[in-house]
Amino acid sequence: MASREIIRYDNSPLLRLAKILTPIFLAVYLVWTLLPLFIMVMASMKDLLDAFDTPDAGDWGGVAMFFDFTPTLKHYYVLFAENNFGVYLFNSLVASLGSALVAVTLGSMAAYSLARMEFRGKKDLLFWIISTRMAPMVAVTVPLYAIFRSLDLVGTLPGLILAFTTFNLPFAIWILKGFFENVPYAIEEAAQVDGCTRFQAFLTIVPLVAPGVGAFLVLCILFAWNDFLFATIIGSGGAKTLPAATKELVQPQNIDWGKIMAAGVITTAPMIPLGLLVRKYLVAGLTMGAVRE
Amino acid sequence: MVDVKIENVYKYYGSIDGVAAVHDLNMDIKNGEFVAILGPSGCGKSSTMRMISGLEHISAGTISFGGNIVNNLAPKDRDIAMVFENYALYPHKTVFDNVANPLKLAKVSSPEITERVKRATQLLEIDHLLDRRPQELSGGQKQRVAIGRAIVRQPQVFLFDEPIAHLDAKLRARMRSELKRLQVDLGVTSLYVTHDQLEALSMADRVAVMHEGILQQYDTPQAIYEKPANAWVATFVGEPQMSLIECVIRQKGSGVVLDFEGHEIAVGAKVGKVLAASKEREVLAGFRPNHVAINTRKTAGSIPGIIYARQLLGGEILAEAQVNNTMIRARVNTDFSLQLGDKCSVSLSKEDLNVFSADTGVAIY
Repeated sequence: MASREIIRYDNSPLLRLAKILTPIFLAVYLVWTLLPLFIMVMASMKDLLDAFDTPDAGDWGGVAMFFDFTPTLKHYYVLFAENNFGVYLFNSLVASLGSALVAVTLGSMAAYSLARMEFRGKKDLLFWIISTRMAPMVAVTVPLYAIFRSLDLVGTLPGLILAFTTFNLPFAIWILKGFFENVPYAIEEAAQVDGCTRFQAFLTIVPLVAPGVGAFLVLCILFAWNDFLFATIIGSGGAKTLPAATKELVQPQNIDWGKIMAAGVITTAPMIPLGLLVRKYLVAGLTMGAVRE
Repeated sequence: MVDVKIENVYKYYGSIDGVAAVHDLNMDIKNGEFVAILGPSGCGKSSTMRMISGLEHISAGTISFGGNIVNNLAPKDRDIAMVFENYALYPHKTVFDNVANPLKLAKVSSPEITERVKRATQLLEIDHLLDRRPQELSGGQKQRVAIGRAIVRQPQVFLFDEPIAHLDAKLRARMRSELKRLQVDLGVTSLYVTHDQLEALSMADRVAVMHEGILQQYDTPQAIYEKPANAWVATFVGEPQMSLIECVIRQKGSGVVLDFEGHEIAVGAKVGKVLAASKEREVLAGFRPNHVAINTRKTAGSIPGIIYARQLLGGEILAEAQVNNTMIRARVNTDFSLQLGDKCSVSLSKEDLNVFSADTGVAIY
């Protein structure tokens, strides 16, 4: 591993300027990213009247009005009691976790063989795999819908898992291939000479790619969890997920902001701890192939 | 511990119409023998070892251990141990677990594993590193761990694939003698692949020299050095390199002489007889640098030349004289006073030379 020590020359004026500007930039960036979340959480706990109670433009003293409300959890209650959000949350979890597991399982097998085997047309095959992600998803939605409908997969969880896998799998193959290529084949050969079968030799290197694979599993969950297009079109009806359900709260005659905000919180909340949990591995895993020893 | 027989083995990568990486190889390795395969990169030496280990498919021919054909056996069923060029240690396992791995796979009981790992690591002086991981070790230590993993059980055959190529020169010299010692003590049939002639000549009982997939010569180190089978082996083995000069065999009186661009090179009676008996006319005469003298004295039969280069080799100097377009190298004393461009005379040994057919390169004498 390279040395962590970086030689710094602190006397350059540009560097001094950067030292001042960096915290300012970070502060602005924090406000920019956290404020919407903050407003969302606040608004989800306000009555409709409180939510629209805003000060006049320029009246900075009136900011206190934002915090002048009685917190209520009624929006959350209504979502779960009347709008079936419990079911949608379950659908979201099953569909995203299911598709991530399918993509990573199939993807690691495909990636392993693509990393280790040489065969005619390998480059073309690889390009074909990644090319399926190059077309905009909207372009394939209609044919996909037609296929899924004739197979009775529309509005079912297996159908939705399959739909999410169409975009997770090619990505998984490409990223995981890099992980496997980074593990010298000689390690597997040494294992075989030590007395492993071919498959046991493969298992020997699994711990070496596990952090990367784990991190990628989380990425796949996030992609699927946040998907809106396939969720509304393929999953609509029997397998509605949180983003699709939230969209349906926007009715022509009234937009129930309180409930929408609460739904937003429900959708965002589970992914935040997940992101924090794997943050370390995500960086380590995704840069695994970047620097060779 | 078995003997290894390689019979008519071919290795093709890709199509069978292509060039063979190994071409019709025949070798036998006796029980307990230490054999080195020597050759430049791409000569097929590694392919040969990988076919013996079972990591590479054998395109044609048979390899047998103690009379049993192993062609279709997986590496794990061949009872071999191999040391890899890049060590190929398990990065996520400690030194202990790396060395213990073959025993664990052989389902040896755990007290015995501890005992045998201890013995192997003590022998290699790495028993204080058992809890470390490979990334915390130096190159020499890693290499010892890799050897430890090989010797922890008694395999039928040891395979060494350039195991010390990445060590520094001093450590390499020490490991040469230690590896040889270890092999003699354990008495396991061993195959050692290397591109370094010093390693091959100093350690092996017999050396197989390979070039472009073809076995050139398979003999004791001494025979390979003194009686190379062809001109290629002659120039590949030996450091500094043998000088080859193009000559024509010419009748003179009752015997023969070598005619080198008009200069007459006299040869000894024994050499003369062989040359006279051969049907060849144009030949390559090879002289090792210690059988050539370069100085200022003009003597009968010396050839005039110009000093082209001089290199200090420590206790001696390698002087290179240019005669027309031919370079002739000689080992000379460090008090050698001639400088680049100086005129000199080159005297060649009458007895200590090798003669090869200019046509085929095959040794005549």
